[in-house]
Amino acid sequence: MKLPSQSGLMPADSASGTTLHTIVAVMSFLACLTLGAVLTLSRLASEWTDGLSGSVTVQLLPSSQISPDDQMSEALRLVRQWPGIFAARAISREEAGKLLEPWLGEGNVLEDLPVPQLIEVTLTPGRPVELEGLGHALADGVPGALLDDHQRWNQELASFAASSEAVGWAVLLLIALATLAIVIFATQAGLQAHREIVEVVHMIGARDVFIATEFQSHFLWLGLRGGVIGLMLAAATLLGSGYLWDVREAPVGAQLLPQFISAPYHYAWLLFVPAVIGLIAMSTARMTVLRVLGRMP
Amino acid sequence: MVRFENVGMRYGLGPEILRDISFTLEPGSFHLLNGPSGAGKTSLLKLIYLAERPSRGAISMFGREIAATPREELPSLRRRIGVVFQDFRLLDHLTVFENVSLPRRVMGEFESGYRAEVEELLSWVGLGNRLNAKPPTLSGGEKQRVAIARAVVAKPELLLADEPTGNVDPEIGGRIMRLFIELNRLGTSVLIATHDQRIMERLPATRIFQLIDGRVTTAQSAKDLVLAEAMRA
Ligand SMILES: Nc1ncnc2c1ncn2[C@@H]1O[C@H](COP(=O)(O)OP(=O)(O)OP(=O)(O)O)[C@@H](O)[C@H]1O
Ligand SMILES: [Mg+2]
Repeated sequence: MKLPSQSGLMPADSASGTTLHTIVAVMSFLACLTLGAVLTLSRLASEWTDGLSGSVTVQLLPSSQISPDDQMSEALRLVRQWPGIFAARAISREEAGKLLEPWLGEGNVLEDLPVPQLIEVTLTPGRPVELEGLGHALADGVPGALLDDHQRWNQELASFAASSEAVGWAVLLLIALATLAIVIFATQAGLQAHREIVEVVHMIGARDVFIATEFQSHFLWLGLRGGVIGLMLAAATLLGSGYLWDVREAPVGAQLLPQFISAPYHYAWLLFVPAVIGLIAMSTARMTVLRVLGRMP
Repeated sequence: MVRFENVGMRYGLGPEILRDISFTLEPGSFHLLNGPSGAGKTSLLKLIYLAERPSRGAISMFGREIAATPREELPSLRRRIGVVFQDFRLLDHLTVFENVSLPRRVMGEFESGYRAEVEELLSWVGLGNRLNAKPPTLSGGEKQRVAIARAVVAKPELLLADEPTGNVDPEIGGRIMRLFIELNRLGTSVLIATHDQRIMERLPATRIFQLIDGRVTTAQSAKDLVLAEAMRA
């Protein structure tokens, strides 16, 4: 005669199971979004602080000592031979006009204004550059040349990113605490609902860890399943909104989504979210069960 | 094997329902526990299977003082005791087979190690064809037999049965008693709480514990008991 395989000691509660799965999935979803933001911010912050953000600008103020064309070619020559510089490009008057349009309005304003000429300098990625020395060399070698390394702006961005990152970690901590509280609550409810079973198994001579193991594996799977659902929803949200943003041309500063799409490996940490939720659920359930059983004779 | 010394017990802050209980159960003995409803038979058994703690007095089980035994060591003592609960306490979501296997499973045994034994035991109590039934679909007498099978499946040194023949016809009742006697011959101590007169008359019980007003008196045989009852009336 064929016997069914041994079922779990605790009956699977479909009703509370669905509710719990939903809550855990939402927690995981929020955790994934927050962690995604934190990862992006930490990456941007470190780039901004290290000055590796890719570009600096050379301004060429009109000077009586040198003609604008000589000024430009001299500055370009100096910048291009500097170690660690990837490329240097003169920004044409039309381009400069475009950049200034929001402030100055349309029209040929530039013709009449002594606006500085600009050189956009791209740094070799991942290689620190002696920017201070370059600044001095430019100031000494080319009259009216001024290096703007965006340092002030970068510093401010970086500290903004760092404080937002701290807020992100705090939110993650809160999500973890909420998950913990939910699992404690659910475990106690489960123990209460299955009081009869727990008592019988206890009286038959089961050790506390035997009973705890039944509960903890239930909650491990709950955490993993809910966590994965939340992760998938979060990934869909990020990719989906990233796509929409791309289509409509990313607004300045909308760094998060393009970053997410351009460097997916950087977000591999998100895969840990379901695992961490599963572990939190499992260990919380275990400790709760052991605590409650400890009060039995 | 079991020794009670001046044991008293109360539930919470309620009245003391067991008072000055002193007795011993020797290995291999067979005892009946008799007394009117509400006398405290089930409560006394609970003390023995370590589900309740006495409010005073000393209990020793298998040579160990219970009060001095750390909680972690109680499960191994409980495994040496088989219990037929008065209300069966079967797990409704498990099959008959799984219910009966439970003590073996709790001990960490694998199904392959006990399957044949459990099947044999179940056919012996007349439930060989109900292995995969769930308790809610069983009759009262069938549940009782499942409960009995579960109590004896791990070959306990001490068997406690609370009204084990309450729900069965005389035919099955006789079978169950023969099972208990057989287990007793093989070395298991047996203590049966019952007020079934037929059992008391049929059994060569060495002693009958009579529980009245929270105290235990012993009678040598069913005849003495009937006599005592008659005199009190
Ligand atoms: N969990 C409990 N909490 C409080 N009082 C209880 C509890 N269990 C039993 N009692 C009380 O203890 C007394 C003895 O109960 P017990 O169940 O031991 O009697 P019994 O001899 O087994 O009766 P019966 O023959 O009807 O099974 C009763 O007065 C009962 O009300
Ligand atoms: Mg009773």
